[in-house]
Amino acid sequence: MAGDAADGRRYVSGLLDAAAIAAGDALDAEVVVVGSGAGGAVTAALLAEAGFDVLIVEEGPWVEQESVRPFSLEQMDWQYRAGGVTVALGLPSIAYTEGRCAGGGTEVNSGLYFRPPVDLIDRWTTDYQIKDLDPDEIAGIADEVEQALDVGKVPGRKTPGSEILRRGAAALGWRHSEIPRWMTYPPGGDAVTGKRQSMTRTYLPRAFAAGARMVVDCRVDKLTVGKGVATGLSVRYSDGTRSEIRCRHAIVCGGAIQTPALLQRSGVRGRIGRSLAVHPTVKLSGRFAGEVNVPDDVPVHQVKEFAPDLSFGGSASHPGLVALALSDHWAEFSRAITEWRRICIYYAAITSEGRGVVQAVPGLRDPLVTYRLTHRDRETLRSGLARLALLMLEAGADEVYPSFRGAPVVRNRRDLATMQQSFAASKASVMTVHLCSTVPMGEALDRCGADSFGRVHGTSNVWVNDASLLPSAPGVNPQATVMAFAIRNVRRFIETNGRGDA
Amino acid sequence: MRSVPSAPLVGPFADRLLALDLPELDRPRRAEVVAFAARRVDGLPSIMRIGVLIIATLFRVALLVPGSSAFVRFVARTPLPLFGEYVRLIRSLGYAYVWETWPGTQPTGAAT
Repeated sequence: MAGDAADGRRYVSGLLDAAAIAAGDALDAEVVVVGSGAGGAVTAALLAEAGFDVLIVEEGPWVEQESVRPFSLEQMDWQYRAGGVTVALGLPSIAYTEGRCAGGGTEVNSGLYFRPPVDLIDRWTTDYQIKDLDPDEIAGIADEVEQALDVGKVPGRKTPGSEILRRGAAALGWRHSEIPRWMTYPPGGDAVTGKRQSMTRTYLPRAFAAGARMVVDCRVDKLTVGKGVATGLSVRYSDGTRSEIRCRHAIVCGGAIQTPALLQRSGVRGRIGRSLAVHPTVKLSGRFAGEVNVPDDVPVHQVKEFAPDLSFGGSASHPGLVALALSDHWAEFSRAITEWRRICIYYAAITSEGRGVVQAVPGLRDPLVTYRLTHRDRETLRSGLARLALLMLEAGADEVYPSFRGAPVVRNRRDLATMQQSFAASKASVMTVHLCSTVPMGEALDRCGADSFGRVHGTSNVWVNDASLLPSAPGVNPQATVMAFAIRNVRRFIETNGRGDA
Repeated sequence: MRSVPSAPLVGPFADRLLALDLPELDRPRRAEVVAFAARRVDGLPSIMRIGVLIIATLFRVALLVPGSSAFVRFVARTPLPLFGEYVRLIRSLGYAYVWETWPGTQPTGAAT
């Protein structure tokens, strides 16, 4: 469990000292879990609690939540891959972000919680031939997750940015709701006093309490796999030292980009990395009469009138991000930056028909990532941005600044038509934070990289247990779905493989 | 490419672009922003970094020939395919840093 060291730093028992290991400690474990995000942390906790000898290997550092400002450049330096500057190439390219720290994306995301969509589970079961996928079982697991993460609604006042979404949707008669978060609040607290119940506060301490070990700042270069059997991992510590870790089972939970890239580097073949799915989003900034910007938090309301094709929500809006959002037409929009306290950033996210590819490239550290939007995707982005701008006007925005090259300032409904005509996805700053589906699960071998419980096809002891397994992007924040599926899969693993000491 | 430091290639163009976009941003602040942009380019994923450094090299050469001010003005205002993405990257990094670090900065770059 976490505690306070004599020098005032937080420490976590179970967390191994990378320097000592690099000096020559040989590591081995019954189960190595690669990655410590929503998939990896629950996998490690449940396995350790079942008596397995578990070692978690995390590429990024352990960062205490209070030590960095949420959504800041400093946080991006510490907790995001490549400082948050990662792109899926295409026309347009799509900027994406990946957590790269203990706890993975759960440390840096918005903390919004959506139960796994039942209709989607039914569709996945049929289309991907997933065996024994019971929506009732998933719902029961979701109940457990909600309890473990303290999922609930914000007590007291919502932020002004959130209220804007509610007000605009209500004026238009559009379906909207407050999305619960996995946060705890002090008595009498409100939206900005919450503490996120990320993996470093929940499942990783549980894993440590049950005896799991963890090493951070340690990248897995490849798995040693022969004839479908993994015997170990080649790793590299942040000081450049290389080492080997022996294991009986390898469970890869590095997220939808790093997981397929690691499998490819390890020579694992099959439907790996061919079907990346994301929720592409376009943005705009709304300027209002009063101060609405809360730099360290995001709105909790979302608009689902057009879901699952299209949904609207709010983004982090500290002044650096406002400047970034205005930079697509700086000549026209720059005067607004001095009023950033009156500005919030919002997004329109679509459920995309397009797909992308993750491909490891020999000799290079990072994979090539590409994504192709379909014609329908582009049109949905166009209509989404227009509807979102309309919502802003209805909520009382004085001016709206869409984030695409050459965009006009929108002040009234007439401007909306001009905006819609001048929009092209290729001119927009398209981004995403939800990455899925690069090792889809199921028995349909022509489309699935792993079986119905995450074992990689063609291997006997290599498993995947993260967002890569979801057959498609779920149309909502996928963290709850990832966690529910991970728990389901690891329980099957425990049933199949027995206790570690058995 | 990982061993090639980006600052000598990225720095001069980033400096000129920011001087054009934010003419009243003082020199020490501009130097800080340029250093930040170079650090971020150093940390880019492999393939993206290779592409950026190739374009940065071409831009670096262009800055050495007479008339480079007109070149900077042209690429700053013209959304060229591919090359325009480099300009957009440097601008995005620069603006995000300026307004996160000094949120009272005017659109011209002047400090309040």
